[in-house]
Amino acid sequence: MATQVSRAASAVPELAPEREVRWPQRTKHKLANGLEVILVESHTIPKFHGELFFRSGNAAASARAASLAEMTATMVRTGTTKSTSREIEERLRGLGADLSVSAGQDTSAISFAGLSDYAEQLLQLVSELAREASFPAAEFERERRQKLEEVKLERTQPGFLAGERLRKVLFDRHPYALVSPTEDQVAAYSLDQLQSVYRDFYTPENAILLLVGDFDPVKMQAAVEQVFDSWSGKKPASPDSPTPPKPTGRKVYLVHVPGAVQAQILCGCHAITRKHPDWIKVGLTNSIYGGAFNSRLVMNIREDKGYTYSPRSAVNPLRQYGFFSVSAAVRNEVVAASLTEIFYEIDKLRSLSVPESELTDAQNYLTGVFSMGLATQSGLLSQVSTLALNELPGDYLETYRQKVRALTPGDVLAASRTYLESANMQIVVVGDREQIEPQAALFGELKVFDAQGAQLS
Amino acid sequence: MKPLQIPVEHKTLGNGLHVVVAPDSTAPVVTVGVYYKIGFRLEPQGRSGFAHLFEHMMFQGSENAAKMQHIKLINSSGGVLNGSTMYDVTNYYEAVPSNALERVLWLEADRMRALKVDDENLRNQRDVVKEEVRVNVMNQPYGGFPWLDMPPVAFRNWANAHNFYGDFADLDAASLADVQAFFRTYYVPNNAVLLILGDVSPADAFALGEKHFANIPAGPAPKFADSAEPKQSEERRGHVVEKFGTLPAMAIGYVMPQRRTPDWCAMALLDQALHGGRAGRIYRDLVLEKQLAVEADGGIDDIFGYNGPTQMTTRILHKPEIASDETLAAFNAVIHDVQEKGITDTELEQLKVKWRSDYFATLEGGRGGYMPRYGLMHLLACFTLFDGEPQLVNAILDGFLAVTKDQVQGVARRYLQPENRAIVFRKPNAVSQEAA
Repeated sequence: MATQVSRAASAVPELAPEREVRWPQRTKHKLANGLEVILVESHTIPKFHGELFFRSGNAAASARAASLAEMTATMVRTGTTKSTSREIEERLRGLGADLSVSAGQDTSAISFAGLSDYAEQLLQLVSELAREASFPAAEFERERRQKLEEVKLERTQPGFLAGERLRKVLFDRHPYALVSPTEDQVAAYSLDQLQSVYRDFYTPENAILLLVGDFDPVKMQAAVEQVFDSWSGKKPASPDSPTPPKPTGRKVYLVHVPGAVQAQILCGCHAITRKHPDWIKVGLTNSIYGGAFNSRLVMNIREDKGYTYSPRSAVNPLRQYGFFSVSAAVRNEVVAASLTEIFYEIDKLRSLSVPESELTDAQNYLTGVFSMGLATQSGLLSQVSTLALNELPGDYLETYRQKVRALTPGDVLAASRTYLESANMQIVVVGDREQIEPQAALFGELKVFDAQGAQLS
Repeated sequence: MKPLQIPVEHKTLGNGLHVVVAPDSTAPVVTVGVYYKIGFRLEPQGRSGFAHLFEHMMFQGSENAAKMQHIKLINSSGGVLNGSTMYDVTNYYEAVPSNALERVLWLEADRMRALKVDDENLRNQRDVVKEEVRVNVMNQPYGGFPWLDMPPVAFRNWANAHNFYGDFADLDAASLADVQAFFRTYYVPNNAVLLILGDVSPADAFALGEKHFANIPAGPAPKFADSAEPKQSEERRGHVVEKFGTLPAMAIGYVMPQRRTPDWCAMALLDQALHGGRAGRIYRDLVLEKQLAVEADGGIDDIFGYNGPTQMTTRILHKPEIASDETLAAFNAVIHDVQEKGITDTELEQLKVKWRSDYFATLEGGRGGYMPRYGLMHLLACFTLFDGEPQLVNAILDGFLAVTKDQVQGVARRYLQPENRAIVFRKPNAVSQEAA
């Protein structure tokens, strides 16, 4: 037992001079067949990470069937003209590799990571999947059944139900309104549909190959050319989609889950895409509002009031449209109290200038976290992917910090007023109707749905 | 294949605090961690969930940094932070631009020296923790399955068998006096390790560690309750009702061999053979070939991060039209096959390559998502607190790469036995099936 309490220096140490953030060189090539190749060295571990992106996803396939690009992606690893499903999985294991094939609204992608020792073999396998998938009928029936169970299961998750309803409300008849197929839609998929998506989307003109990791870029470029040079295929036409009307006026959508012991709140409104010149302003505004642990919303409804564990806000960029969202899972008794604070903090940002010190804190946060992408291969890959997919300027990484630091309280006020549309915010609450409906109804015209999507009132 | 040579340096301060430094100047970022050798396994009886609630309290204010200051100072330096409570350790960690290193060390030292929290903070975090339990467990399909469902079925010692997230009555009963007593008992420098990784020289790191931590007084060495399990002699089974989910589920857990033994290394490769993704025998057989199950995964959770009884656990969600008995029989057949026939040379070779690759991935990223070198930090911490040997991070791979086919078959025969396992069935209740 100490008889005498030691004291710490009571003053917070100042920050030392900043070390320069130096982003690694990105080597870009375009093969004769149109494939864009971007290579970045990162020698943190003897591995490399890669993505083969195709610039078409569920939205581009939506006229054919719901979430069709995703089902196609699921099938790609289940067989090629050269290898069975089991052979593919065992080859991957033998290369020390992880691989997934997936599709979102705007892209389809083969994502992979493996030991540098076996880089060329892994590229060969990726190429085989991208060019020679064979869509075996038996594998399809199994994956279809898996998908059916998956779509039933996701309807039992509050987070999924909230996200699904918000998308419908914000995007109406645009393909972005749809986040998952119905059971009937899954049952109606045909192998022909999947193969046509594969033929149309998985082409070199439609693709970007990104590789980040422990390799010599000259040798890697040679390997890439050797593996992918003989591939050919055109860019698919991109179908037009109806412009979604921006919902006006606050409205409330309650998704009724009997027996829920908590309410999942998700509010949202239209915002902007990554390419928009205001993107960085909105990003900074979001980080002050609810995008960081130290943000106003988290300090208010978590650290002060204890309503929730994980409140967060985000700007969600899709290729054609973006949206702003606020989420919190709160106890049933405080749905109205939480919504009141969510709007209070939005309205405050829209009314009053952010103090300079708070702005500086947020600028430091955003620039610091951005640079952390440098420290790992997967972080770097994610930064470089964002640039490539959104066709951002070549010096985006290098100039981001200066752009964030140049913003003023006036910029945040303007961005809040333009994009945090308090009056038009759409409110989704997932929970037990008996417990939360009167509270939710205080915030606007209320519609109630069940977990299957049927309107109850 | 080059041997792993991560530079690691280790010193112990006069007060018993271990300091471990792993320099790497790839990016101007440092990762700092403080690990205390106490987790939820050995929290006080009658106070289930307390170690985790206490972890939240460590963000509520210390002698010179009031509530919200910890979070604000890290975020406004351009960094991220978090903490987590595990079986045998609790960690607090930050990744920041390297110019903020001293500030982070000051903050960690301040809260190791003295917590300054009040009843209001405790009430607030008790509410936050209850919402955490609701969002992760009570309001989620298969919430807490199997990590909360399995221990009371598998184990007999309260330390291993209780509800680690905490019964709400126990959380309500926790007092400020409990918080300070727990702090005085376990949060002493001689029960902790400080880790500094990334963009810093070892000399600077040790000097800063000394400056901020050396004058924190040591405490009496904590006395740890015995977490040993009485010998199991029968298969154990339990049942849990699934409130939201649509599929019947089961989890099968086998008690693991003692850590850092040849059997332990062999079990790790057997785990890879059984649970290694879509190439793993269990997924391949139950999902891809027999098509009884929709999900089949699992394995040894955090193999380096535990210091007491633990299991290798398989988690299965199967089709509603397939009986649980049939699913379990198929699982048993997979186990029987590896016991009878062992694995092939090619399979062993593949398992080792994949194991090595996964180990590198763990070192770089690991559980922390956007937290560079979380895994390296975690391994260094566990090897220091449990083994007194942070250098194991470079050497431990050898034991796994030396495993033979016979050893894999041997541990399958000896450990994958009914009297060494427990099974939890989690079935949807009739009401939710009708409602669906």
